[in-house]
Amino acid sequence: MISREIYEEVIFQAIAKGATTIAPDIRQGFENAIRRETKPAAKEGLEKTYGSILRSAELRNPACPDTGWPIFYFKVGNECRLEGGMMALEEATRSAVRRATREGFLRSTMKHPLTGFDPGDNIGSNVPNFTYQFVPGDSMEVTYVAKGGGSECFGGTRHRVVAFADGVKGIEKFVIDSFVEATRSGGICPPNVLGIGIGGTANIAANLAKEAACLRTLGSKNPDPQFARIEEDLYKALNSLGVGIMGIGGDTSVLGVHVEYAYTHIAGICVAISSNCMVARRGSFRITADGTVEEMDSPDWFGGR
Amino acid sequence: MATYHLKTPLSQTDVEQLRIGDVVYVSGDAFTCRSRLHRWVLDEGHALPQAGKDRDLLIHVGPIVLREENRFKLVSFMPTSSIRFEKWGARAVEQWGLRMIIGKTTMGQETMDMMKEKKCVHVSPQCVSPNSWVQNIDITDVELFDELGTIEATWSMTVKELGPFVVDIDCQGNNLYKNHEKEVDEARDKALKALGIDPDFQYTKLY
Repeated sequence: MISREIYEEVIFQAIAKGATTIAPDIRQGFENAIRRETKPAAKEGLEKTYGSILRSAELRNPACPDTGWPIFYFKVGNECRLEGGMMALEEATRSAVRRATREGFLRSTMKHPLTGFDPGDNIGSNVPNFTYQFVPGDSMEVTYVAKGGGSECFGGTRHRVVAFADGVKGIEKFVIDSFVEATRSGGICPPNVLGIGIGGTANIAANLAKEAACLRTLGSKNPDPQFARIEEDLYKALNSLGVGIMGIGGDTSVLGVHVEYAYTHIAGICVAISSNCMVARRGSFRITADGTVEEMDSPDWFGGR
Repeated sequence: MATYHLKTPLSQTDVEQLRIGDVVYVSGDAFTCRSRLHRWVLDEGHALPQAGKDRDLLIHVGPIVLREENRFKLVSFMPTSSIRFEKWGARAVEQWGLRMIIGKTTMGQETMDMMKEKKCVHVSPQCVSPNSWVQNIDITDVELFDELGTIEATWSMTVKELGPFVVDIDCQGNNLYKNHEKEVDEARDKALKALGIDPDFQYTKLY
C-alpha cells in the first residue's frame, strides 16, 4: 500500500521538477541545436534560452512563466494499491497543484472558458487532466507535463481527416503546411518537439500526438519502419524550412518528430499534430509498493521510447 | 542594425529613428496588460488604470508574482504573444498613447497602420529566457488584482536596461516577420518537392 502522504508529495515534486527543469534528452536537443546553428542571432537566442532554463533549475523557478495546462499521466501497476484508491489519487493531485501554484512553481493560468474567472489555483472543470495506463506490477509512475499555451493555441495543435487516396502524401502535406502557418512570427515557440498521431477518431489521434510530443524521449524512433521513415523524412523537411528559434530564421525548426498510430476506419485517416514548445517540460517519478521513490529521466510511456 | 538604450517617457523622435531589426534596451516606467484588461477598458467601458494613463510603455505579459509582506516578488517574466490582442491593438495604441509595446510574435495590419500614424513600435525577445529579465524589473504597484486576478491585473513596473528586444514593427509600416515569411514559403515548396509532393497538391475533398 502506498500512503497518500507519499504519493501526494511525489506528485508535488513531479510538478516542481517539471516546471523548473528540462530532462536530459531535451538538454541534448538544445546542445545539438546550438552546435549546428550557423545563424548568429539564432545561435544567441538558443544559448540564452538554454542558459535561462539551466538557471531555473538552480533557482527552482519556472523555466517559462507560462506553466500551461497541468496534465498528468499515470502508469499504474495492476497490483498497485493506493491509500484511498484512485479517487484519492486525483484529489491528492489537485491538492499538489494548489500547493505548487501557491509556492510559485505554477502560474495561475487556468481560467473559466467563458467568463475568464481565475480561481487562483489552477483547479477547475476537467483541469487538471488525467490519463492512465495499466501495466503489470505493483508500482506507480507519475508524469506531470506543463503544456504551454503558445504551442497549443497558435496553430501547432490541430487535426485533419485525410482520405486513403491521399495516404502518406496527404499526411505529410498537412504536417508541413500546419507547421509553416503555426510558426509565422514564432507563435508556437520553435524549435518544437512535434508529435503526430495517425489514425483513430479525432480525439484518439490528438491524444497520441500530445503523448508523442510531450512524453516520448527526444530522438527516439518508432520501431515500425514505415512510421520511423515518416519521422525521419519530416524531421529533415521541417528543418529545411529555416524557421529557426522564435521564427526569426535558423537551422533548427524542430528538435524532434515523433509519430504514434492507431488503427483507423476504412473511411479515412485522422492525422493530428501536437507541438511542444522548446521549453519542453515534464517531470516523472516512480513509487514502488514499499514506498521507495525513484526519479525518472523519461516517462517511457510507449515502452522503450 | 543599430542598438538603442531608451528611457521612458519615450519621445516621438525616440521611436521614429527605430527600424525593424534594431536592438532596444529600455529603462523607466511600464505597465502590463493581457486580454481581460483590453476587454475591461475597450469593450466594457471601464476607465484605464492609473498606470496606463501615466505610461507609454506597455508590456504584453502575465508575470508570476508572489505577494510577500510589504512587497511583490517577481518570480518569472516572459512577454506573451501579442497577436491575440489584435482586435484591440489599434484602439490601445491610439487611446492609451503608447509609444512602445514589448510583446511576442507580432501584431496585424490594423495595429501596424495605427502604429505608423501615432508613432509606436512593437519589440520582442528572440528567445525564451525569463531569468534574463527578472533582476531588471521592480514591481511597484498592482491595480484590478481582485477584479482580474494575478496574471491579468495591471502591474506597474520600473524597468532598468530591460532587453535586448528586437524591433519587429517600426513606425514606417515595416514588419520583420513578413520579410522572413517569403523565405519560409519558398523553402516549403522545396521541402514538399523533396518529399515527392507537388506544392499544389489538392486533398481529396472529404468535407
